[in-house]
Amino acid sequence: METKSIKQWILDLCGLMSVSGSESYDENKLMELVRPFFDSVERDPVGNYLFLKKSRRENAPRLLLDTHYDEIGMMVREILEGGFVRITNIGGLDPRILPAAEVVLYGEKPVFGVIVSTPPHLQKPGESSKLQDVRDLLIDTGYTKETLEKILPIGSPVGYMPRYTELEGGELAGKSMDNKACGACVIKALSETDPDELAADVYVLFSAKEESSSTAGANVGAYRADPDYAMCIDVNLGKTPDVSKDETVELGKGISLTYGPVVSRKLTDRTAELCRNAGLNVQPYIATRSTGTNTVKIVLGRAGIPTVDVGLPLKYMHTYNEVLVLKDAEDLCRLVREFVCDARIAEEFRRG
Amino acid sequence: MDNLDLLKELCETFGPSGWEDPVKEKILEELGPLSRLVREDRAGNLILTVSGTDHSRKVMVSAHMDEVGFMVSGIEDGYLKFRTVGGIDPRVLCGRRVQILHDGRYVNGVIGSKAVHHQTEEERSQATKVKDMYIDIGSFEEGEDIPAAMCDYGTFLSEFVRFGEEDRMIKAKAIDDRLGCAILIELARELAKNHTMLPYDLYICFTRCEEIGYSGATVAASVIQPDIAVVLESTAVGDLAGTEDHARVAETGAGGVLSLVDRSTIYDEDLIRFALATGEKHGIPVQVKKWVSGGNDAGHIHKSGRGVRCLALSAPARYLHSPSTVICAQDYFCMRDLLSHMLQDLQISDFETR
Repeated sequence: METKSIKQWILDLCGLMSVSGSESYDENKLMELVRPFFDSVERDPVGNYLFLKKSRRENAPRLLLDTHYDEIGMMVREILEGGFVRITNIGGLDPRILPAAEVVLYGEKPVFGVIVSTPPHLQKPGESSKLQDVRDLLIDTGYTKETLEKILPIGSPVGYMPRYTELEGGELAGKSMDNKACGACVIKALSETDPDELAADVYVLFSAKEESSSTAGANVGAYRADPDYAMCIDVNLGKTPDVSKDETVELGKGISLTYGPVVSRKLTDRTAELCRNAGLNVQPYIATRSTGTNTVKIVLGRAGIPTVDVGLPLKYMHTYNEVLVLKDAEDLCRLVREFVCDARIAEEFRRG
Repeated sequence: MDNLDLLKELCETFGPSGWEDPVKEKILEELGPLSRLVREDRAGNLILTVSGTDHSRKVMVSAHMDEVGFMVSGIEDGYLKFRTVGGIDPRVLCGRRVQILHDGRYVNGVIGSKAVHHQTEEERSQATKVKDMYIDIGSFEEGEDIPAAMCDYGTFLSEFVRFGEEDRMIKAKAIDDRLGCAILIELARELAKNHTMLPYDLYICFTRCEEIGYSGATVAASVIQPDIAVVLESTAVGDLAGTEDHARVAETGAGGVLSLVDRSTIYDEDLIRFALATGEKHGIPVQVKKWVSGGNDAGHIHKSGRGVRCLALSAPARYLHSPSTVICAQDYFCMRDLLSHMLQDLQISDFETR
């Protein structure tokens, strides 16, 4: 059977709407895409989806793979005269990319909108060097206020318009590949793995609210899954010309593994070894405090879960044109497949 | 026939000031058999002549083919440095999809800059300068040919979208001034279809390089030496929620906009009166611009040769010179119909210089 390409998986998952707090908006589509490859799924009170794929081995240890499912976005705050909408940010928006951006407002039906900007013709001198606070920006919906009030409740989520573009070196550009591109790699890997091959019962946590200040998803998800060991998979900051090399990882050079006080050094070393044996390139990445991912929440989730933190290099993070290299995503997919099948790691990290 | 396909096709065509060729090809294609009446002048403008009964009288209608865009100014570590062509606010550049035309092939790119995670507090409140941005067209192995080069041209990559209540609005790039080009093509088709004989020669002009102020229209006007010129344009409006009434400039959805004064022209009073009267006579909405801003080809045309009476009829357009310019579809049809009626009702003797 022809398997679905990683690119198609990424397009399918990243194209869904899952702004933090509204992760269930496209639940039917998500279930259609993912549910067939798992034994069970549960949705918990903070909005996580926890998928389980059981190993055929008896008494298999429990492995948690965390990839947060939410994405940054906005929320409707006020509806004004002429069908303009005021918003607030959900998560860390990049303020420099907002004017003239295409968005979708998810009310009772999706409403297309454009974030307003002032044309050079009407600007005051010096105006173009200042950025507006997101709370002062308006979205133009092309509706009348009266109609809009009927179809767009205050609090409706707003996301960037999904549009994906291929670049020249095997890259894909578009919205919310942070972090659903990683989710796509994980699901593809498990969809192609037979339960006989699994070294552990695998819990895939599509965690909610990672981009918001709450980060409740990983806390609760790790608690509920109660794993013996875990892998946290999130995008990592890609090297661009304006940032130093040691703060970033390079695109096209494979996945990254985070080293630092939070992660399990032993599990990280085992994972690095696994990559070496599989011929996968690894870029080490140092995080001397938090990893900036869900890892610390998982580690602390249930009395110290040994966790390895894996990164998929991504440029222009938190924009509507995040850029990744498909080859890196293929590498991540392969790593996940090797990792879930590795009996040696599974036995070593089974709790005593 | 109320159809926006022509406008869509034109807006999605590549044509920054200095590289209008793809737009020219599109216009000639759309004109079909009428394209044999088109000549290209030495400045690169396209001029379609519709002969009337009296060759001593000349009317020029014009729209510019070019749009704001970019030029590649260098390549550093595989990333393209660029300069803007025409007035683009740096705040609508970051994160955008763009297209570079290299060696006859369109190459996609994204305007990149530092991720928000790496930005300092100060950087988050200041717009990134164009000199600090770069276009990312993908990564290449060492020794591999990069499909871009210094002096390549680029534009925004932005789809034509209909949106809003009953899809009454349009979002696209380059509405300024492909909208004018579309109206002129429709005008040429209509005149041909009805075998209309106007009492003057009509010169339908598609001009170059308006966005940089060089204005191909200067050349077209001095070659044609018209008595009257009507410039089809788009004008910035400020009709957003919370804007004071007088500063709204004009209203989208209220018909074409007549300029009284802008930064380069004081328009001809008689023509403005005539346009308003034509609108009233035929029940076509038309409005007057309430703000002095911008400028267009009329600035060059009105003082060319022996002097030309000029009128500017513009689409009220939000977020001009951005990849997401927004207009109301109805305004396009209002402008098209008003222009058509004006040209048919025009008694050129009323505009004799006394």
